[in-house]
Amino acid sequence: MSRESIIKALSTRNLIIIITVAFGILPVLLGFNRYYVYLATQVVIFTSMVLAWNIIGGYAGQLDLAAAAYMGLGGAITGLLLCYYHLTPWIGMIVGALAAVGLAVAIGYPTFRYGLREVWYALSTISLVLILQRIYWLIYGTTEEYISEYIPYRWSVLYLRFDRYEPYYYLGVAILLVTLWVNITIRRSKLGYYLRAISEDEDAAEALGIDVRRYKLYALMIYAAIVGLVGGLYITTTGIITYRLFDPDYSLSVAVAGIIGGLGSIPGALIAGVILKTVEEYLRATFGAVILGLHLMIYGILLVAVSVSKPEGLAAIFTYIEKKLLKKGSG
Amino acid sequence: MIDVNIHLLIQNIVNGVLLGLVYALIALGLSLMFGVMGIINFAHGDFLMIAMYFSYVLALALGIEGVLTSFITVPLFVVIGVAWFYTLINRVLKADPLIQIAMTVGILMFLRNIALAIWKAEPRGLPYSALLKSITIGGITISLSRLIIAIISLAVFFALHLFLTRTKLGIAIRATAEDTETAALMGINVKLIYALTTGLSLGLVALAAALILTFTRVDPMIGTVYGLISWCIVAMAGLGTIKGIIFSGLIIGLVEALGMSLISPGARELFIYLTFILILWVRPRGLFGVR
Repeated sequence: MSRESIIKALSTRNLIIIITVAFGILPVLLGFNRYYVYLATQVVIFTSMVLAWNIIGGYAGQLDLAAAAYMGLGGAITGLLLCYYHLTPWIGMIVGALAAVGLAVAIGYPTFRYGLREVWYALSTISLVLILQRIYWLIYGTTEEYISEYIPYRWSVLYLRFDRYEPYYYLGVAILLVTLWVNITIRRSKLGYYLRAISEDEDAAEALGIDVRRYKLYALMIYAAIVGLVGGLYITTTGIITYRLFDPDYSLSVAVAGIIGGLGSIPGALIAGVILKTVEEYLRATFGAVILGLHLMIYGILLVAVSVSKPEGLAAIFTYIEKKLLKKGSG
Repeated sequence: MIDVNIHLLIQNIVNGVLLGLVYALIALGLSLMFGVMGIINFAHGDFLMIAMYFSYVLALALGIEGVLTSFITVPLFVVIGVAWFYTLINRVLKADPLIQIAMTVGILMFLRNIALAIWKAEPRGLPYSALLKSITIGGITISLSRLIIAIISLAVFFALHLFLTRTKLGIAIRATAEDTETAALMGINVKLIYALTTGLSLGLVALAAALILTFTRVDPMIGTVYGLISWCIVAMAGLGTIKGIIFSGLIIGLVEALGMSLISPGARELFIYLTFILILWVRPRGLFGVR
């Protein structure tokens, strides 16, 4: 196989086909083991969020730490509508995603209007997670709602209740692929170029006539919509609704994976999401009882290492391979 | 009825003022680092948390009053700060703000989870303190520990003010904050000033930690709330002003004390975070900032 053909084989379309097939046959490789498929579902959910984060964090360069706010809101709405009103999650998830977009506009508009950047943006977004957590806690307290107590079906497509995890897994894969597609589309669109210009230098972008506020808000809305939707899937998978959904650590993990993957790099975000979440679940299963939060400790070390030595993250590896292939291919 | 309410109000204002001075002291180190170096330290609250654990362990091991452990923890944290500067901060000084934040977020995650691994999740507090008494003046109860801490905070502010305005080193720090390049041209070793500022910042954190341990307990997650309170104060105060830090601390303390008693104790953090977001929106450059 010549180098040109390798490059050709690695074209975006083929990569997506490879990814689809790989995720598609994964449960078979895992032998339909209940626990492993559950973990794979968590990995797919997390990776979708990292890819969504790539839009606001990677392309637009805003250190957004509110993933758990949008996810929690989407999840809580889906779950509570299902429990209290028996509304199908198919609609609940859409309502949840729309609510997340509404929140993103309500928060994002003044945030960008008043020019909050960098640390102030990061701080206001992490505050948002904590505010929602507190509000939920003030309304519902520490009670945990179990969907299974309200919707006692063992297998219902309408209510998304299954006694296996494969359906959730494939729903997650579907969302992941859509998110991937959104990422690629934005990257090639006008919006993508604008966002990268904003991330390079906001003032220069504004001077060139880019409506910085508007495009940042678009990026935030797309991100919130995907994360809100994923939150709905998350809640139907785990089946427990609690204030712990609004977990600042989850927000941090998403941003960490996005940065370690390399800002704005789609394969980087994808691979960092899969690897970090898999390692996290492995560590939790192995050392969880002995050392709480070991995976977060390791994330912390990785994050420090990446920011100090290789701010381009995993993406640097892909750039390197690509360059090497192209160079040798042409010469 | 009105009598009781006014009494309650005064009590809350007193509580809020005492609390606010402590918050101002906690935020002081953060303000210094941000103001002088432009480094965004997300891990500020978590350094406070770790320092509280150090004080806790030392106080129990040596059988001394928690406040006294600061004689050991403050120098230790100054050294940690200097080491932190030369090993990590130095390398991201010129990096993108997002990368600088990412580095300190990494430190935050590391500190928080190492505390969780060592001391587990349940809150820990000192079993006794001679300071855990309160005095009553005209029906207003004042906790002795909070009063003493507020006085120490004010003394530290005054000392820092003198240090920054009257000593050569303090003036060098201010000059570096004002204009790094000119300061370097004037023969100031900027790297050394940065290292000392980081050390000073963490030293102040260790002092605040030893002080607040007399009336509060520590758990691995406590860094979040103190970190955000500190950022809130810095955001409100703007840069380059010690007076602004004190006033902003007082505002946060009052908001918290009044909000807790008038609305709901559970809503404590809610008020702090809401105030924070509102302040960020309204005054991006701070209420008292000179720069």
